[in-house]
Amino acid sequence: MADDKPDVARLVDEAAKALGLPIAPEYRANVILNYERSLMIARPLLEVELDDELIPGPVFRP
Amino acid sequence: MTDPLSKFATATEIAGAVMSKKVKASAVIDATLKRIAAAEPTVNAFTDIVAERARKRAAEIDAGNHRGPLMGVPFAVKNLFDIAGLPTRAGSKINVDGPKAARDGALVRKLEAAGAILVGGLNMGEYAYDFTGENAHYGPSRNPRDTTRMSGGSSGGSGAAVASGEVPLALGSDTNGSIRVPSSLCGLFGLKPTYGRLSRAGSFPFVDAFDHLGPIARSAEDLALSFDAMQGWDPDDPVCTDRPSDPTLPRLIEGIDGLRIAIAGDYFARGGEPEAFEAVATVAKALGASKTVVLPQAAAARAAAYVITAIEGGQLHLPRLRARPQDFDPDTRERFMAGALLPGAWYVKAQRFRRHYRANVLKIFDEADIVLAPATPCTAPKLGQVMMKLGGVDLPVRANLGLFTQPISFIGLPVVVAPLQRPGGLPIGVQLIAKPYNEQAALRVAAFLEKQGIAAAPPA
Repeated sequence: MADDKPDVARLVDEAAKALGLPIAPEYRANVILNYERSLMIARPLLEVELDDELIPGPVFRP
Repeated sequence: MTDPLSKFATATEIAGAVMSKKVKASAVIDATLKRIAAAEPTVNAFTDIVAERARKRAAEIDAGNHRGPLMGVPFAVKNLFDIAGLPTRAGSKINVDGPKAARDGALVRKLEAAGAILVGGLNMGEYAYDFTGENAHYGPSRNPRDTTRMSGGSSGGSGAAVASGEVPLALGSDTNGSIRVPSSLCGLFGLKPTYGRLSRAGSFPFVDAFDHLGPIARSAEDLALSFDAMQGWDPDDPVCTDRPSDPTLPRLIEGIDGLRIAIAGDYFARGGEPEAFEAVATVAKALGASKTVVLPQAAAARAAAYVITAIEGGQLHLPRLRARPQDFDPDTRERFMAGALLPGAWYVKAQRFRRHYRANVLKIFDEADIVLAPATPCTAPKLGQVMMKLGGVDLPVRANLGLFTQPISFIGLPVVVAPLQRPGGLPIGVQLIAKPYNEQAALRVAAFLEKQGIAAAPPA
C-alpha cells in the first residue's frame, strides 16, 4: 500500500540526529537515495520468514 | 622456456629460475621495477613502490638467505595490507594521516618467509566498498586489457598489476567479490579461500563477518603455490582456523578425476549478459558437467550480504564520517552514511538468515564437489560508467557487478575464478565454488581448464 511507504527523507534526518551523524546539505539527497536503494535491495531478505529457533551463526568464544 | 625476466614468467617459473641460480633475484627485481615504471602512467595500479626494500631483500636472497618455494618472486599487495613504515591507506586519503604500520601484515610476512619479495602497495576502491576499481583520490586502476575500462574492484590495482605483467602475483581482499570481480574483468586466476582459512591480521578491515584475503595470479599453479605458503593458524586473527594446513600444489596433477561438477541454475542463470552464461557453458562442456543445482534463496542471500556490509561498514567508519566527511571519496561517503542509519533488526535477521542459508547450500555439496557460476554479470564496463543493461534491465554498475559473487562469500565458501579470454572481446571469469576448506578441488579444476586451453591469463 502506498500509504505504508516510509518517509525516507524524514527517517534519514531523524536517525542521523539520534546517531549523532551530521549530514551536510550537499550530501543529504544522496544519503536518502542510498537509503531508498537499500530498502529495495533488502526486500528479498525482509520477506523471508525464519523460525524462532534459528540463531545467528557467529560464535563468541570467551 | 619462458624468460624469467619477462612479463610472461609466472611465479613458479621465476622461483624455479632463482632457485636453480639461472637468474639472480636482483635481476628479477630490476626487471620488475622497470616494467612497473613503464606501465604505471597508463595502468595506475600502484600507490606505493618499495624499491629500496625490494632490492635489499633480493640481495639477501642472492647472498644465500631466505630459500623457499617463492624464492625471488616479486609480489605486490592491495594497500589495505600493512607495509612496515607506510600508512595503510585502504584506498583512502584519511588513513594517510594515521600511524605508519609498525610491521608487515601477516600474509606479507608469510610470503616473504617463503622467499617472495614485496615491491609495493596497490590501488583500490576506498575502504574496499567498491566493485569498480575507481578511486577519487588516486585515480582509477585501469584495465590492462582495455585501458578505457574498469579493472573491477575493490582489488583493482591487484588485478591491473597482474594483468599488465608488472608482477606475477598480487594479494587482494574479498568481502563481496573484490578478488573475483577484478579477476573476471581483467582475465586472471583469483582465489577467495574459505572464510577464516588465511589470517587477516595486519590488514585494514571492512566487514568482519565476511572479509577474506587471497591471491590473484596468471596461473592456477601460482594460486596454489602462494596459497600453500600463506596457510596456517594465526592467533592475531580470531577468525583464523586452527585446522592443519592442507597443501594444494601437490594435488594439482590429480586433475578432475573423481570430482562431481554441477552448474548453478536459477538465480545464477539469469540477470546477466549472454557472455557470462556462455563462459559457464564453455567451462561446463570442457568438464563434462551437465547437472544443474539450485542454491536456494540466493536473492535473499545477496540482500543479506548487502545489509550486513552496509551496516558493519557504516558503523566502522562512523567516527570518520562525523569528523572528516569531506575527505571521503564521494562514491563511498553517502553509501557509508546510509548504511550507518539502517535498522539493527535488519542486521540480526541477516545474520540469522545466514545460518539458515548456509545449512541449505551445504546440502548441495553432498551431490557435487564443484559448482559453476558466472563471476561477473558482464565484461569490464567503461571507466566512469554509472548504469549498465543486464538482461535488458538498466541497473547501477556499482551495486550489481557483484551480483553473482555476493551470495557465495556471504557463507565463506572457497572459490577460484577461472578466466576465459575471448578473442576480439574482453575476458570474463567463471566461479569454481567448493565446500568449505576444499580449495584443492577448485584449484584442480582451474589447473585442468588451463591445461585444456579453456582458461588462460597471459599478460596484456
